[in-house]
Amino acid sequence: MNRSIVLASSAILVAGAAAVSCRPTLALADPPAAADSAPHAADSARRESDEANLEAQLETARKQLEAAAHQVAELTAQLSRPVIEGFKDFDWEMWDDHGHAIIGVQLDPQAPGPGARVRGVSPGGPAAEAGIRAGDVIVAVNGAEVKGDNPARQVMRLMRDVKPDSKVSVRVQREGSTRDFSVTARSGPNFLFAREGLPPPGAELLPGMHAPLLLQRPFMDLELATLTPQLGRYFGSDKGVLVVRAPAGGALKLEDGDVILAIDGREPTSGSHATRILASYQPGEKVTLRIVRLHKTLDVETTLPERSGERHAAAHDEHARAVAPVPARTLLMRDQT
Amino acid sequence: MHTDLEHEHTLARALRELPHDSARPYGWDEFRRRSQPRATHLAGGRALAATVVVAVAASALIIRVGGFVRHPHAAPGTVHHGVATLSHSAASPGSGEESYAERYLASLPREPALVDVGTRAAVATLEDDIAQLDDLVSAARTGSTPPARLQALLDERTQLVSSLVQVRYAETLADASR
Repeated sequence: MNRSIVLASSAILVAGAAAVSCRPTLALADPPAAADSAPHAADSARRESDEANLEAQLETARKQLEAAAHQVAELTAQLSRPVIEGFKDFDWEMWDDHGHAIIGVQLDPQAPGPGARVRGVSPGGPAAEAGIRAGDVIVAVNGAEVKGDNPARQVMRLMRDVKPDSKVSVRVQREGSTRDFSVTARSGPNFLFAREGLPPPGAELLPGMHAPLLLQRPFMDLELATLTPQLGRYFGSDKGVLVVRAPAGGALKLEDGDVILAIDGREPTSGSHATRILASYQPGEKVTLRIVRLHKTLDVETTLPERSGERHAAAHDEHARAVAPVPARTLLMRDQT
Repeated sequence: MHTDLEHEHTLARALRELPHDSARPYGWDEFRRRSQPRATHLAGGRALAATVVVAVAASALIIRVGGFVRHPHAAPGTVHHGVATLSHSAASPGSGEESYAERYLASLPREPALVDVGTRAAVATLEDDIAQLDDLVSAARTGSTPPARLQALLDERTQLVSSLVQVRYAETLADASR
């Protein structure tokens, strides 16, 4: 397993360089010359063939790169699960059974009050996205002042009243001034399954803390771009996410140039947001996509294809729901509005 | 004088009898165009070769320095993985200081201009796991968690941050190649 991650990391380096080494040389190529004679025509054809070949190599390298990145994430998620599960006999006082929300900070209980000092922010986490930094001191959460002997613990208690995906008002002190941030909370760890005991063999993808967002085809082939006002005018929408490349073969019933306005009523604000929403669906589920196609708005209903060769049978999913009736990851994904 | 003049005439005649300078077969633009495929192959080959060397060296370094060495702080009985990681000083937030890895992550745009959904899902997975782990770390620090168990969480965070750096690096490279 460990060697797998190292190999996947190496694959990222190799495939990445191959991808990058192709592109700049292509960019330096001259524009096609007028084929006004036979030799020129032959040269032009050869050049076009070379470029097509390089483009194909580039696409292959890019796919390898993305596959390696995917593998690194998947293996890491698998490896981290046992360590987290090792906390099943931890002090549970700080958590609700389900629906616990987090903002992605490490608090420093040793720092003197008033306020709870942020020791670090989670990369890509809600607090980091909102602009909170390491060293900030949280002095209020949703209007409630943070004071007392153990401000870090108090912040955690205040977060128990916050629902995942809701907006949290966080006031911090930074370099002598007060700043307010609006943070969109995410779902925290769901330890209910841990209290009930470890899941049975084959249930490692419980929709709890470590249910990965890793997607299967056809999502993997989807490329999106956040719509800018200029792009929006061209494609006939002032909001939504542009489908730059739709999955091949008509999967998901999307086409290049579609603008996704909503996924089962949830409006994606960026490519990342759309990814999180899409990742919340299980194979076989129905999804209604509201899209703009050729300046017309329409609803497209599609069923996600079943995965083949996986242990995720329906019976297992039923068991997983029984063990963890509030799937944190699913809650997190579904309510991303 | 007379001799000199005669010499100049001879010289002029000799010069006139020289063959004309061959016309260049093509101009600079054509030369550059024709040389392009060769340059492309050379540049691509060199870059690829250099990268293979870097990749092998990086893998060796990872294995030698941080890779397959068990973390000394892991508690007995806790499951731990000796995987390719950045060192703690590089990947874990210390006393209010962001690690190099986290500064690198913070320097990247929130998402690439063109979002590959598969890769972005991998990024989101790791980001969510780190945020959830940070929540655990905060709770562990405020509670009565044994130091070894806290350290196990920090080790895990290091691993997750390290993987996130790799995945985002790959995402950035893929985006740059478009």
